[in-house]
Amino acid sequence: MPEQLLSAEGLTAGYNGVPAIRDLDLSVGAGEVVSLLGPNGSGKTTTLLALVGLLPAMAGTVTALGEPVPTRRPHLLARRGVRLVPDDRGIYFGLSVREHLRLARRRPDPARTAAVLDRFPALAGLQSRKVGLLSGGEQQMLAIATALLGGPKVLMVDEMSLGLAPKIVQEMLPAIRELARDEGIAVLLVEQHVELALAVSDRAVVLNHGRAVLAGTATYLLAGRDRLESAYFGADEFAATQGA
Amino acid sequence: MDTYLQFIVLGLGLGAVYIGLTTGLVLVYRATGIINFAQGAMAMWGAYVFAQLRIDGTLVLPIGRITFGAKPVILVAALIGVLMSVLLGIVAHYLVFRPVRHAPVLAQVVVSVALMLTLQALVVIRFGPNSIVVDSLVPAGTVTLFGVEVSSRELIMTAVMIALAALVWAYLRFTRAGVATRAASENERGAMLMGFAPDRLAGVAMVLASAVGTVGVLLGSSLTGLNPANYTLLVVPALAVLLVARMESIGVVVAASLVLGAFQSVVNLLVSKPWWPQWAQSGVDQVIPFVVVMVILFLFGRRLPSRGTLQTVRLPDVHVPRIRPVPALVLVAAAVAVLALTQDTYRFGVTYSIILMLVALSYVIVTGYLGQISLAQTSFAGAAGFTLSKVTTNWDMPFPLAILFCSLVAALLGMIVALPAFRIRGAQLAIVTIAAALAIERFVFNNYALTPPSGNPIANPSLFGLNVGVREGSDLSRMAFSLTVLVVAVLVVLAFVRLASGTTGRMFLAVRANERAAASVGIDVRTAKVIGFGLSAFVAGMAGCLIGYSAGQLSAESFTVFVGLQILAVAYLGGITSFGGAVIAGIIGPLGIIYVVLHEVFDMGDYYALISGIALIATAILNPVGIAGETRRQIAWLRGKLRARPADPPPVPDRKVLSDVS
Repeated sequence: MPEQLLSAEGLTAGYNGVPAIRDLDLSVGAGEVVSLLGPNGSGKTTTLLALVGLLPAMAGTVTALGEPVPTRRPHLLARRGVRLVPDDRGIYFGLSVREHLRLARRRPDPARTAAVLDRFPALAGLQSRKVGLLSGGEQQMLAIATALLGGPKVLMVDEMSLGLAPKIVQEMLPAIRELARDEGIAVLLVEQHVELALAVSDRAVVLNHGRAVLAGTATYLLAGRDRLESAYFGADEFAATQGA
Repeated sequence: MDTYLQFIVLGLGLGAVYIGLTTGLVLVYRATGIINFAQGAMAMWGAYVFAQLRIDGTLVLPIGRITFGAKPVILVAALIGVLMSVLLGIVAHYLVFRPVRHAPVLAQVVVSVALMLTLQALVVIRFGPNSIVVDSLVPAGTVTLFGVEVSSRELIMTAVMIALAALVWAYLRFTRAGVATRAASENERGAMLMGFAPDRLAGVAMVLASAVGTVGVLLGSSLTGLNPANYTLLVVPALAVLLVARMESIGVVVAASLVLGAFQSVVNLLVSKPWWPQWAQSGVDQVIPFVVVMVILFLFGRRLPSRGTLQTVRLPDVHVPRIRPVPALVLVAAAVAVLALTQDTYRFGVTYSIILMLVALSYVIVTGYLGQISLAQTSFAGAAGFTLSKVTTNWDMPFPLAILFCSLVAALLGMIVALPAFRIRGAQLAIVTIAAALAIERFVFNNYALTPPSGNPIANPSLFGLNVGVREGSDLSRMAFSLTVLVVAVLVVLAFVRLASGTTGRMFLAVRANERAAASVGIDVRTAKVIGFGLSAFVAGMAGCLIGYSAGQLSAESFTVFVGLQILAVAYLGGITSFGGAVIAGIIGPLGIIYVVLHEVFDMGDYYALISGIALIATAILNPVGIAGETRRQIAWLRGKLRARPADPPPVPDRKVLSDVS
């Protein structure tokens, strides 16, 4: 069992006093890729927002890098190396690629920049382009590249595949897997593409109606398609978590 | 031609001030999304500190003062002045702007307007109301330019301000904090997730903005002198430049500021020519830029960029009013009783409160219901008042007909001001309407050709041979006039309740909530805006006529931009979305009954503007629904509590509360 860099216990969070996720347990260790799966509205994005403290926890605890996560101060968390790439990718259309790379690090570090750009060679030639003019895939690469430049210990990516061509998704997900292994980053992926996500993950949690209805290793989940499908579509008999 | 070049150079001095103020506006807007109407007033504070240091070596603080033995050297004094402004900027950031960062646009406009009024009031209290002379940091001199001898001071000032603007540009362009400020202005959550604290960035921007703006005003005030009004209102042309620069481009800010300054200077030269029509001499330097900005926005205006924020909060809720005879009668009876029990100054205060209630009601219609921020309501009132003076003295138009006619004139003006609202929304509309108000004030109200300095007498109103004029003999405030005002007010309020609770009101609310959604259910958004502005200007016009009758003759002082802002302030303080709020606004408004009591009993009239400004800032931050809304909320909460315990006696409706009527 690797060191747990990000963990939630009994996490309940939501909007205007109404919980959207209830009693969620989750943990990601160094070098591990965990997927958070589930249909629309099951609480995946809410979970991420609560994990970085953008949404205050109504109950339960969230711990990142061994310390409790402060409420509504995600910038402090980001500086410590816990990065969330949100569903809007958290990039700025009016700024150039170079400016994004500049923002990502406190002190410029050409070696690190070159190393990150090696992983995303498409970006290297686009440095002076305004981000609004990039394609969806390039934007997503940039979002991940800026997150990586800061040298994160925990990386959360919300719906990386959103709006991307399937081919690009097939290239990018394995890249994330390599990253986790090479740099020992704890990665939490929120995905709609169940099979693609499971193919690169160590473990996964399936959410439905704000509750974890199924959790286990990727192999275990891939082995039982029926089980996975009923969890996804909300069959009651899978209310209990199994495996792991 | 030589004279023109000389005037253009002189105008660059003004342009340099615009560069300072507008650069600050751009910085604050990009860092916080707030348009800081108080930019001029904040910079003015530093300039006053500087001027006073140079006059007698006293460092005046908002409370207390420090006296130096000798007058400090000019550069030291200037540094202290800038430092004071910067401190003010930091305080304003943490106490005023930061709390409303995610508040509705209206709250942001109101808060910065309130800060502007507060600072202006504070300047009057701390430095006095008169114009003072300011030492020049730049020595006077001349240089020869294209064979013409021109003043070198303005050229140096311009160079200094361009250099400062370039520094700000470089900050936004090349430093990590500056790039992050731009990033956060586009996507605040993204910037936070990248490790930036937008609040901190906004604080830095505020400091830079205060410094640059203050340097501009320090330099400019040596040319013009300082008084509490001039630099406060200089923010209006600066705001126009801000719109032209599409809220972001420092380059355009510099160019447009200089062009505007030079242009105004040349216009002032032109109006002194014999061939220039006499009726158009006053205020043209304000009107033409306003028209030009309007045309630019209208013809070339793409959607102005707005800011990506974490969340937006809606305007305060509206409770659709209905006529409830008993509370309404109680309220009217109470008003009659108060009028009967008071006399002279106090009765006049109560009467004026009723009139102010109508002005506030016009804000309720256009802002509370239609959701458009108009800062031109007193211009509508003033237009009606001045028309009244003309039609009663020249045409002998009788009383009820005259105010209907004049209010229609105001309504027409309101419909014209509605045109920019087709394309421009939110705080940007506030800019356009305050610019319109200033243009109307300078071009019409202060124009001796249209409104002679000898006065604008208004004939006393009479109804069926009965004199309902405000004064007769030694009676300065007759009951007959007060009752007439009350009757007019009741009729207007009844009409308002009918309209607001009917299709029109719902149409306005739909437009306020979401223009596209309103259009999709078949509401003609433009028509709604024209009707809304027209109606609200009509009500404001009614009030303007009554103000005219109450004074017997009209002066421009009743309808200045500042008076308009103060009434907006109290309307917001009372609660901008309900009739109850308008009543409270009337009671606490300038020259209303509370003002009179403050003035007569406590001799604190000077502090009225300061107190109302601070109260307004506090309201906008703590309690965006205003006093009326908060009272209603607490009553609802109390009722809920009482209902929750069936053992308790049934709740007794609280009849005393004004908002119950609406």
